[in-house]
Amino acid sequence: MDKLLRLIGQRLGLGLLTLLVVSVLIFSAVELLPGDLAEAVLGQAATEETVAAMREQLGLDRSAPVRYLEWLSGAVVGDFGNSLISGERVSDAISERFSNTLMLAAYAAVIAVPISILLGIMVALLRNTLFDRVANVMTLTSISSPEFFLGYILILYFSVKTGWFPAIASQMGDTSLGDYLYRTFLPALALVLVVTAHMMRMTRAAIINLLASPYIEMARLKGVSPLKVIVKHALPNAWAPIINVVALNLAYLITGVVLVEVVFVYPGIGQLLVDAVAKRDFAIVQACCLIFAATFILLNLAADVGSILTNPRLRHPK
Amino acid sequence: MSNPKKEVLLKIEGLKIQGFTDDVWIDIIKGVDLILHRGEVMGLIGESGAGKSTIGAAAMGYARDGTRIAEGSIEFDGMELTTATQVERRALRGSRIAYVAQSAAASFNPAHKIIDQHTEGPLQYRLRKRMEAQEDAMDLYQRLRLPNPREIGFRYPHQVSGGQLQRAMTAMAMSCRPDLIIFDEPTTALDVTTQIEVLAAIRDIVDQFNTAAIYITHDLAVVAQMADTIKVLLKGEEVEEAATEEMLEAPKKDYTKSLWAVRSFQRPQKARPADGSEAVISVKGVDAAYTGGAKVLDDVSFDVCAGMTVAVVGESGSGKSTTARVITGLLPPSKGEVLFKGEALPPSFRDRSRDQLRQAQMIYQMADTALNPKVRISDVIGRPAEFYSGLTGAALKQRVDELLDLIELEPSQYYNRYPPELSGGQKQRIGIARALAAEPAFIICDEVTSALDQLVAEGILKLLDRLQRDLDLAYMFITHDLATVRSIADEVVVMKNGQVVEQGPKDEMFRPPHHPYTDLLLSSVPEMDPNWLTTLLEERGVDNIGEAARTGQRAP
Amino acid sequence: MLTFVIVYYGVLIAASCAAAYFKQRQAFQLLFSLLLVSMVVGIVGGAAGLRFIAIAACLLAAAAGISYAFREFLVQIAKPSLARELRTAPLTAAFGMFIIFVYAVAAIFAPWIAPFGQAEVIDSAFAPADDKMLLGADQLGRDMFSRLIYAARNTVGLALSATILAFLMGAGAGLWAAVRGGWFDTAFGRVVDILMSIPSLIFALLILSIFGTNLTIIVVVVAIMYAPRVFRLTRAVAGNVVVMDYIEAARLRGEGDWFLIRREILPNTTAPLIAEFGLEFCFVFLLMAGLSFLGLGIQPPTADWGSMVRENATLISFGEITPLIPAAAIALLTVAVNFVVDWMLFRSSGLKER
Repeated sequence: MDKLLRLIGQRLGLGLLTLLVVSVLIFSAVELLPGDLAEAVLGQAATEETVAAMREQLGLDRSAPVRYLEWLSGAVVGDFGNSLISGERVSDAISERFSNTLMLAAYAAVIAVPISILLGIMVALLRNTLFDRVANVMTLTSISSPEFFLGYILILYFSVKTGWFPAIASQMGDTSLGDYLYRTFLPALALVLVVTAHMMRMTRAAIINLLASPYIEMARLKGVSPLKVIVKHALPNAWAPIINVVALNLAYLITGVVLVEVVFVYPGIGQLLVDAVAKRDFAIVQACCLIFAATFILLNLAADVGSILTNPRLRHPK
Repeated sequence: MSNPKKEVLLKIEGLKIQGFTDDVWIDIIKGVDLILHRGEVMGLIGESGAGKSTIGAAAMGYARDGTRIAEGSIEFDGMELTTATQVERRALRGSRIAYVAQSAAASFNPAHKIIDQHTEGPLQYRLRKRMEAQEDAMDLYQRLRLPNPREIGFRYPHQVSGGQLQRAMTAMAMSCRPDLIIFDEPTTALDVTTQIEVLAAIRDIVDQFNTAAIYITHDLAVVAQMADTIKVLLKGEEVEEAATEEMLEAPKKDYTKSLWAVRSFQRPQKARPADGSEAVISVKGVDAAYTGGAKVLDDVSFDVCAGMTVAVVGESGSGKSTTARVITGLLPPSKGEVLFKGEALPPSFRDRSRDQLRQAQMIYQMADTALNPKVRISDVIGRPAEFYSGLTGAALKQRVDELLDLIELEPSQYYNRYPPELSGGQKQRIGIARALAAEPAFIICDEVTSALDQLVAEGILKLLDRLQRDLDLAYMFITHDLATVRSIADEVVVMKNGQVVEQGPKDEMFRPPHHPYTDLLLSSVPEMDPNWLTTLLEERGVDNIGEAARTGQRAP
Repeated sequence: MLTFVIVYYGVLIAASCAAAYFKQRQAFQLLFSLLLVSMVVGIVGGAAGLRFIAIAACLLAAAAGISYAFREFLVQIAKPSLARELRTAPLTAAFGMFIIFVYAVAAIFAPWIAPFGQAEVIDSAFAPADDKMLLGADQLGRDMFSRLIYAARNTVGLALSATILAFLMGAGAGLWAAVRGGWFDTAFGRVVDILMSIPSLIFALLILSIFGTNLTIIVVVVAIMYAPRVFRLTRAVAGNVVVMDYIEAARLRGEGDWFLIRREILPNTTAPLIAEFGLEFCFVFLLMAGLSFLGLGIQPPTADWGSMVRENATLISFGEITPLIPAAAIALLTVAVNFVVDWMLFRSSGLKER
């Protein structure tokens, strides 16, 4: 058990370290700006004085490490400073949008995860049949389509042509949950399509990979039925790869959501990031990047810990 | 003993099985007949590719992925399996025909406890309630002489040793009291001392329940202990079948006779040169450990003289391969040194000169992984000659031809071919030629014959012997097979847990008195005598076998 | 309408029966499942639904026919060893190869195929399709079709160069790390772990916000983002080769790292590496399409599929499908590459799925 705890501790430490390194990267990327931040923000119209004032305001006279530490200590408590364009507090701009993004991702995940694992198991069971081939072609097609392609097709058919669902999910306001789910159905569906295909394929691969093991043949030679072979003998050993797949795709849901948010004009953090990039509002860009990276790293961490916990060899040491 | 009056349990007629390779179906079993009576044990024996395992699986009505039963009938206790439905066939498996696989470690599901896998069959067929099935499992564990029979089942497979797992799998096969058990090379992956316990356990349990069995193996001595009748197979066809004693004493077919004769090759033993000349390689007081690990070699010392063969013998984990890694410089020792003709070699191969590297060559166990599949034979053999001697063009080609001649392969036929196109024995010969191309003084042969069929192995041993005489080579032979030691060694070094237990000239080593471990090792090697196991067990005392193997000590 | 429905079912039933009679199992399965699907769609969607199904089936059949013919063509012109491999290719893979071929032709001969230049203003904004302009005009009155052809060159060329760069870096480092091993390997592995824990689209956005949308920077950034993936795969594949005894034999002979990589490892890793190149291209291509859709990729007036979608997106609310064509072009090429890769992976996995 000690070994297990140590392994998990190691993973957590490593995750934290990675996060730290990424935060340094994000911070120093802005330092690489040609000229400096003040000039970049103010652009060519700026006079000497305004630039100097801006420098003063941003505290650019202090050394980079000091500013990094300030930025990081602020970030830890959710304070990312002020927007360089509007002067608004970054945390105010982000907080609501971030929860919107999380909502949308959770909506898609709740639908996609169970469906894709079930379907993945099903195609593994029916491998090399017509059903499997068709599923293969369909998932490949879905993976290969850019999110905005799927998004616009959904808009075209379910909104413009039939009028079943709204095309734009922008006005949120105070809506009931049911109303929310209805309004955001199309963006969620676009995400579900991409993510389900990925997860299904990877689940199938994980299970089929295991089916070649001798203990599966042993189970068959013990007279175990095909369904039970998969559920009882293959699945318990497939959890680690499946957990990884799910975590990877959840991470994708949160970061890859950017394009879908833009297509459906959804007020999420991705939309904010894209706007900030266009306006060169670095305070917001940095904050968004850090939040995305942290989510991504956390989910990967969760996957690692999950696969350690489901590994019988590690759970029951000698 | 086969008895025609007994009831027939399994009857296979004109069985043809095809395998799918390169987009065509090819016959791998070409019409085999087999009759097995209740309570009878039949040994299926043959070299790799003979189709033993395929027939074993077919007896359960099971065709492995990529194979299909094309023709013939398989009748089990009056039921035709080839025309039975999937469900009918599945209902037989585990309940009436059980299977014991080669690698227990891989064949137990790592995610479930041993006893839960054991009771899966009885529960599925509703033969017993869970508690009864568990009690029965513990009873079987006891009969198979597993330690802590009441607890061992509640462990996970990776928490139990290989020999114990193999017995647990035999117990699992027994769980529904089947009429027939297929044993598919159940002891091949085990060390000799562990093999004994498993063999004894299997034989006892099969006797106790009067279960019929098909025992598949490539080892004649093993099958002689286990089977009532022996069927010899070659390339998917039957060679002959007879009762065990009859088969051992008077084989009829040439192929069988040649199999029997394999172990007879023995060359005269050479003594060390009397003039006191320096040994080619001497290992002096070597300790070694892998990074962060415990010591794997502890004060190992021995000499290899020119023109002589030193066999290093031991079970897996004894440190014999590690010794080879120290000599070649792959694993620098933590203490001690390796001398080449009296001069100390740098510990790591990276620091050795080209000439030092050239002098010590290596031949590997698995010719498949020892030859790059994408490199032409001419380049495999030519590269060392080019690298060390700077040969190019016509001179290089001539040298390659010479080397191919030396290993008895026709140069023009092999020059432009790739390793995957060759047979196991041919590949091993190419491996030898590659070592010779460097013109070394010393060659390490790491289990060079253990992956080969016996006939082929003998050819390789004879070739190595001839080359030694012609080229005055010194060999270090790493092996676990005492028959190989008997046939080719001049001196023997016995290793256990990283230490040298005993060493000396071969004749002395095979003659008592010897160290208890050497004795255990020697006595554990199966012999062709069908009564060998029985006699040995009586000698050692039944309760003692397991104990003896574990501690490596033998009660005086 | 009624005659269409009767003829449609009649043909399908007759064909299924014929297939069953001649014991063509696959053909029967296909035809019969088509029949069943048609019945369901016919009940739900009426004759219009049936028409849709019939058109879809005909399109699929045409694609299958083209793929079949193209595969036969390749088998004819290829070397014998390659031809034997090609003969085992499923129709999906043949279809993929055909599409890749078409795109390559379009990209290479774009100036000759396209009737107009990519920046040429021909007509009024959003002019409908006519004889002159196959697909109508875009938001500035440029010919959609010509821009579509030119974009094949621009978009694919850019993605390809980023992939090649990523591949050179990733595969080079992976092979080297596998051969050297030790701390060198570990250090590389750590760096890669960190790079891979940064979401690629986000990181690309960060860098682009700083350096602006410069093509060289896009290529370099995307290559750096995807090199770690290549590194991991190469390291894993080469890692399987490095443990082989023949590598040990070569090392003990005194061969250098470069010899090991070139003569011993590379010949054994080409198949998975080629497949990985295809996969990598898909990722890079999709990422770049995403960037240019966000307006951060190739800048106007150069034609590019991603930005074409964005520029003409307003048309979608009028029920037009023209803006979807560039998006479909992206999807089609990615699907094609994926089909080929899928087959290659299946081959190199040694058919173990059977």
